[in-house]
Amino acid sequence: MSIVPNETIQVIAESIGINNLSPDVALAVAPDVEYFMRQIMQEAIKCMRHSRRTTLTADDVDAALNLKNVEPIYGFASGGPLRFKRAVGHRDLFYIEDKDVDLNDVIEASLPKAPLDTAITCHWLAIEGVQPAIPENAPVEVISAPADAKKLEQKEDNLPVDIKLPVKHVLSRELQLYFDKVAELTLSESDSVLFKEALVSLATDSGLHPLVPYFTCFIADEVSRGLNNFPLLFALMRVVSSLLQNPHIHIEPYLHQLMPSVVTCLVAKRLGSRLADNHWELRDFTANLVASICKRFGPVYGNLQSRLTKTLLNAFLDPKKAMTQHYGAIQGLGALGPNVVRLLLLPNLETYMRLLEPEMLLEKQKNEMKRHEAWRVYGALLRAAGQCIYDRLKIFPTFPSPPHHTVWKTNAKVLTSARKRKASTEQLEQQPPLKKAAADGESRAVIMNSSPVHKQGEAVIPASSVDDSIIGSSSSAQMKNETTLDVQVRNNRGDTQALNTSAALAQVWKDELNSGRMLVSLFELFGEGILSFIRAPEMYMFL
Amino acid sequence: MEEEKIVGYVTAFLKKKGFTQTEKIFQEEFQHNKSCSSLEADIGNHLLAFSQLETGPARFHDGYSKLRTWTYSSLDLYKHELLRVLYPVFIHCFMDLVAKGHLQEARNFFNTFREDHEMMHLRDLQKLEGVLSPAHLQEMEFAHSLRQSKFNIKICEYSNELLLQHLHSTQSTTILGIINEHINFQVTPGQPSLISDDPEAVTLTGSSQEAANQINQKEIHWGLLEDSLEERLEKSGAFLSDSEKGEGEAKEGENDETKKRSSEGGKQGASAKKVKKDKGGSATGKSAKPEANNIPAAPRVKPELALPVMPTEVEQSILEDLRNRVQLSNVALPSVSFYTFINTHNGLSCSSISHDGSLIAGGFSDSSLKVWDMAQLGQQPASSLLQGENDTSQNEQLLGQGGGKRQYTLFQGHSGPVYAASFSPVGDFILSSSADSTIRLWSTKLNANLVCYKGHNYPVWDVQFSPVGHYFASCSHDRTARIWSMDRIQPLRIMAGHLSDVDCVQWHANCNYIATGSSDKTVRLWDVQSGECVRVFVGHRGMILSLAMSPDGRCMASGDEDGTIMMWDLSSGRCLTPLIGHTSCVWSLGFSSEGSILASGSADCTVKLWDVNSSTKVSRIEEKGGNANRLRSLKTLPTKSTPVYSLRFSRRNLLFAAGALAKSG
Repeated sequence: MSIVPNETIQVIAESIGINNLSPDVALAVAPDVEYFMRQIMQEAIKCMRHSRRTTLTADDVDAALNLKNVEPIYGFASGGPLRFKRAVGHRDLFYIEDKDVDLNDVIEASLPKAPLDTAITCHWLAIEGVQPAIPENAPVEVISAPADAKKLEQKEDNLPVDIKLPVKHVLSRELQLYFDKVAELTLSESDSVLFKEALVSLATDSGLHPLVPYFTCFIADEVSRGLNNFPLLFALMRVVSSLLQNPHIHIEPYLHQLMPSVVTCLVAKRLGSRLADNHWELRDFTANLVASICKRFGPVYGNLQSRLTKTLLNAFLDPKKAMTQHYGAIQGLGALGPNVVRLLLLPNLETYMRLLEPEMLLEKQKNEMKRHEAWRVYGALLRAAGQCIYDRLKIFPTFPSPPHHTVWKTNAKVLTSARKRKASTEQLEQQPPLKKAAADGESRAVIMNSSPVHKQGEAVIPASSVDDSIIGSSSSAQMKNETTLDVQVRNNRGDTQALNTSAALAQVWKDELNSGRMLVSLFELFGEGILSFIRAPEMYMFL
Repeated sequence: MEEEKIVGYVTAFLKKKGFTQTEKIFQEEFQHNKSCSSLEADIGNHLLAFSQLETGPARFHDGYSKLRTWTYSSLDLYKHELLRVLYPVFIHCFMDLVAKGHLQEARNFFNTFREDHEMMHLRDLQKLEGVLSPAHLQEMEFAHSLRQSKFNIKICEYSNELLLQHLHSTQSTTILGIINEHINFQVTPGQPSLISDDPEAVTLTGSSQEAANQINQKEIHWGLLEDSLEERLEKSGAFLSDSEKGEGEAKEGENDETKKRSSEGGKQGASAKKVKKDKGGSATGKSAKPEANNIPAAPRVKPELALPVMPTEVEQSILEDLRNRVQLSNVALPSVSFYTFINTHNGLSCSSISHDGSLIAGGFSDSSLKVWDMAQLGQQPASSLLQGENDTSQNEQLLGQGGGKRQYTLFQGHSGPVYAASFSPVGDFILSSSADSTIRLWSTKLNANLVCYKGHNYPVWDVQFSPVGHYFASCSHDRTARIWSMDRIQPLRIMAGHLSDVDCVQWHANCNYIATGSSDKTVRLWDVQSGECVRVFVGHRGMILSLAMSPDGRCMASGDEDGTIMMWDLSSGRCLTPLIGHTSCVWSLGFSSEGSILASGSADCTVKLWDVNSSTKVSRIEEKGGNANRLRSLKTLPTKSTPVYSLRFSRRNLLFAAGALAKSG
């Protein structure tokens, strides 16, 4: 009946030394206990209100007990509200965590700092009803243009012409100084500690909102002017990133001004004038920046991401563009997430690889610089595709694989792969005239040999150092093999799928197969490099 | 033998239903004719059967649920009136069940229908929820008062008839009994009222309704004091502006308007005016006033207390302030200076700002009272030179104790959390009230405790200096408010009448009245001279946390723990408009010096500014047109994460606000 169960009464009775409390007594006492508990809590709430608080603390309960002439309960004093933890395995059992303290630690610990003394600070919450934009005040939502100026204008001359008066924008002296100083640091001393401090300040201070239009203008100007100045560009991008981090700034209205400069730093042909400039790093940084912008403002700005991807894809697909541009585009697309990669990058991968391959080979591309760039691009592609496949495979373990199930799956997998192999041999034997590019018998033999090796022995062969973009003739040779092989496997795949559907395998299988196919094609393109992106259990499943 | 049994039943039945008169008569008649028994036996049997039929605890449940379904399916036009009946019936059904000992059924009944009333009466329900035995009903003040008093419900003629018809037709005598016993219908002729959330529709008063009505019929003189400083300033102003006739005329035009307004105001408080005429002194004072007087509103009244004499230099500085006062209106908003307490470690329980804003006091839960002099903060090094010798020596002592350089003066003496502090008008004294049930008077000049006033028996929640100083009022958990003067350690008056804690107290501008807000959700106005309650203001739904009196003495604002602010008309005792906007406790309220703007500070970390003039005007329209309208909120000033503990308009109309920085998250 009462919210206090009889057992509680009995437990408490035992704790104070009454061992044979009859259940009737507990039943009679329980309502009284609840009544007084409620009464004490009501008094405690009064004490809380008079202490100008909205959270009840143990002190309030003590004060309420005091009011009722009851001795307070000792041992629960705290500066703030108590934090209860839920007991594991119980729905409505809570406890206060009581940590074990090692006495040695207490003795050896240095004396704690004296708590800071209470003090008062003073600021203007409003001046003649208007809140000044200072850090002490909550950030102003929107800076509104004076609306009455326009109305006045119309009243005076009655012309239909809508004259837009220049909006009076008051910028305080302090803010002007702040802006000048930050601009100066960005231009000249981007390595200094001070600049780092400035970036932190840009990322955290409220009250900077009035400066946002000035910063966007400044960034746009300097980027277009200073494409040859690598440190400057990097500093500017850091400023952008800090501004984006600042929770008090509404940067949305200025995004359209910022984006061109940011994208420039991602896909420009040349960033910086000297060879030593590590423009790759800048491109990576900017790619992440772009991705964070898309993540944050994508929902608000409907076409932001579509426009961005279009720009990047155009840069990627244009064979006349420089390798550096391709690199930026790939990094940008890669940072936008695995789905973008899967939808936009992967379908074009094959054609692109055909373009890229000769650039990477020692024999065909003599220019060291160009070759290095090509390998860079290759690395970027590999990473993007790898992340995509990793993400794809992550979705899988939706079945919490009981052992027999897995066995069955792996069996089936082996079956399919065996079938695949069989099919391929059959196909090759049956319709040799259909093969055009890779029709010569020699290479076929190579393929027949290499494919089982690759499919079963990856774990043994150490992953080659493609990632590090060290040019090794062996790996590139392997590469060549694999690309030629790709054409065939594609055909085979068509067959396997036909086989599968005829076997009427479940829908789940198809899905799995899709990714399996994707993995296979990627594997064909990249070799073992891709395998480092796949987690062990999945790898086991797919091999 | 059988007969006696029956008589026992009948008397029991009558007692149960509360028909004491009938019972008496029955007893008398019974004594007279014991002879004719055959008929009575018959009736007795009938009654016996009847009472057996009715005693089951289920009848409350059934009766109430029947009434509830009928009410919810009634016509929309009458529905909101009929819904009002449900709540009183609900709580009395519950209490009847408890009183009869059907605890399990009572709990079930309560939980079944609880949701219907949660929106309007959450707090009452929480209180009642704990009642689990008949003994609790006796013990608990709130339940007791509910049992003793009647609900007043305004209802139109037709709704009343509908209700009675329904009850008779369904023969639910239980519910009928409850309604007869505990509800007092105020039947109004004509159509049901349109406003569905009229706060006065359902009221509950401690004593009977007549008494409350009587209380609110008493006259009060809400006019300002004769010969106040403002008045003197205007006189001198009139002297100055004599040369500029044109301006003076313009002023007169204004005056006409204000006079009109004042006459309107006079009509409102007609009763108040009558008494003025009776009182010869004040009437002559009124007639003697020059025509160019700018003060509208009520006739001047004489102080009922012997007021202290103000030193001339203080008077001069106040006059100077008044001359330099910024005129505020709904287009000219005040500047707000905000004092933030930092590193309070959750210990600040109150704060107070002196009339000129230069001194800030904070009361802490560690029993200390700390006072900051904001004028000194800016110029630390120079300050010691400027201070008097006495001061410096004291300060040095304090510094020696504290070890480091302290920016404030520490007052120690209380032995419990300090719940309120109040500066005297001149700023040379501070009063503080504490959980140790004492009030202490401190001197800011000597930095020392002067007096400890003991009188309350429980924590003193609030203390306020009167507008002229010397007198002060306090209120406490012991349900009383008390008036004190600085020179006596015993209270001068004790105001008793609230049904629960008295949480806040405020002086009227003319010092003849104090207002108190209480946890019983009412605000009362007390006459300082007689100690009588002269007004009861009913309408809040939570405990009252803050009060403010308008400088013209006409209105009062009160804020509660739900964030509702109510503006009251003192003369009529009615709510002008509820001001809704805050989402949490309203800790502090303040009128600007000329009374055009009300500022409110709340636990939701905002200061809100409200337009007072529009609110009073709107209410007048409302009175005529019968249309509900809300007072305009002028501006919301959010702080970063600082609940606003106190507010004060300086005499020059600069708004000071203070609060302790709460750590976010």
